[in-house]
Amino acid sequence: MQEVQVIGVGLHAFGKTGDKVVGNKSVTELCRTAVDAALKDAGVSWRDIQAVSAASSRFSGGKGWGLNGNDVVEEMGSTGVPVYNLSAGCAAGGNAFNIGYTLVASGQHDIVLVVGGEVMPKGFIQTSGVEEVTDPEFLRQRCVGMPGPSFWSLLARRRMFEYGTTEEQFAKVAVKARKCSVHNPYARFQSEITVEDVLKSPYVSDPLRLFEICPVSNGAAAVVLCSKERAKKFSGKAVTVAASTVATMQFDDGLPRGLASVIPSGATLHSEAKGAVTKAFERAGVGPRDVSLTELQDNTVYYELAFPEEWELCKPGEAESLVEKGETLPTGKMPINPSGGFVSFGEATTAMGVFQVCELTWQLRGESGGRQVPNAKIGLGQTLGLGGNATAVILKK
Amino acid sequence: MERVPAVEGLFSEKDGKAELIGSRCTTCKTAYFPKAAICHNPKCDKSEIEEHRFGGRGKLWSYSVQNFPPPPPHKFDAPYKIYALGVVDLADSGLRLMGQMQVENFDEIKIGGTVELVVDALYHENDKEFTSWKFKPVA
Ligand SMILES: [Zn+2]
Repeated sequence: MQEVQVIGVGLHAFGKTGDKVVGNKSVTELCRTAVDAALKDAGVSWRDIQAVSAASSRFSGGKGWGLNGNDVVEEMGSTGVPVYNLSAGCAAGGNAFNIGYTLVASGQHDIVLVVGGEVMPKGFIQTSGVEEVTDPEFLRQRCVGMPGPSFWSLLARRRMFEYGTTEEQFAKVAVKARKCSVHNPYARFQSEITVEDVLKSPYVSDPLRLFEICPVSNGAAAVVLCSKERAKKFSGKAVTVAASTVATMQFDDGLPRGLASVIPSGATLHSEAKGAVTKAFERAGVGPRDVSLTELQDNTVYYELAFPEEWELCKPGEAESLVEKGETLPTGKMPINPSGGFVSFGEATTAMGVFQVCELTWQLRGESGGRQVPNAKIGLGQTLGLGGNATAVILKK
Repeated sequence: MERVPAVEGLFSEKDGKAELIGSRCTTCKTAYFPKAAICHNPKCDKSEIEEHRFGGRGKLWSYSVQNFPPPPPHKFDAPYKIYALGVVDLADSGLRLMGQMQVENFDEIKIGGTVELVVDALYHENDKEFTSWKFKPVA
């Protein structure tokens, strides 16, 4: 295995179809901007890229087959490089990163591009549209009717029951996210909000409100990975990939998926995320308390409270007080989502795992301006996707 | 009006009570709904599946409120009426089950409270009433 470094990152700012930021740009146009930025950041040319690992979208581009990496290669100029299109629901960007990492770590290639982009349809993410009684997602939506937000609010409600979490505390997580977003020119929402603003926003699914749930967004992200040996010739700003992992759920996971699951013997809920993160800690040889900052998948504020506890970044039931004391801010002792997170960006589903690597890289380089985590040395990223998919990444200075 | 299940073969109805048609592995006791043809428990050495009916009472693990009309393929009667859905643990069989709540008032819903599996209308179409299983709090 050879050491892998991130030598260049780039984003297309996130927005909503028709706005000033993304307008009516296609997913390939969004990706082009992100890729150009990442190549420039790395100091490499398109012709230096030896392979492309891309997140597959089921919403946009990819010739209807999730061939989004092929779209990018045609757009940039067909050089004959191998292309890998990875599908893992909302974890696809993380999966694409993992394959890109593996291609370099294994010595097959020295310079690999990882890319993810999305143009999302409006409203709740819908099922495939196939009315097939063998499809558990169809059965769940037809017989019960549980879109994403309603699923998240089940978890939020359970947390209120277990730890006495208040609606005000959920609101404070959103306030923190937006406080960070003010300093992020790529975020869709870049203004501060107050607890009152959040509590005045309508319930999407009681107890979760509009400002506490990420909307869908359009956006793109790209990363250039390089072997340590070759990286010496390029950017002087490389950060090391200490671990990149993928995991799927365990059989005894108690998260309500499909119509039914098993009652778990323990507290296991997001076993795929825990599996990926735990493996990443082991491989990187670091512990949860060594992490300088975390970019986690906050489809809703609930996750900013639950995930740090599940991964032992803090103690169970401690997260609310850490938020209230400002410890999850970039200047706190457990910085979470200094980028502003999904709550400030919205979710361009398959771009998100790559987006997180961009933010971690800027943080470790000390280039994050007003949202900079002081003296950031180790960054953790994590995604979670339909089907029980999860990924984790640890970058270090 | 004719009363038919929203999806055939998932449950049956007797006096308004629901009986879910699932299965169970007699080796490792894992419960499945909808029914599984083979045991999926990686720790189970020998898959021995038999049909199993789930019903009766369970304990509410959590619930949420659907404040906005959900997208297809869910179906509902107009005008949209906000509903609650719950996750219920059937401790005897080890099954954690999802379903809508049947309540007049959301105040009736309590985590940890006992609920009963019933069958209730989900939507009406073509002069038929389409039903699903729901959870009714037991006072
Ligand atoms: Zn079994």
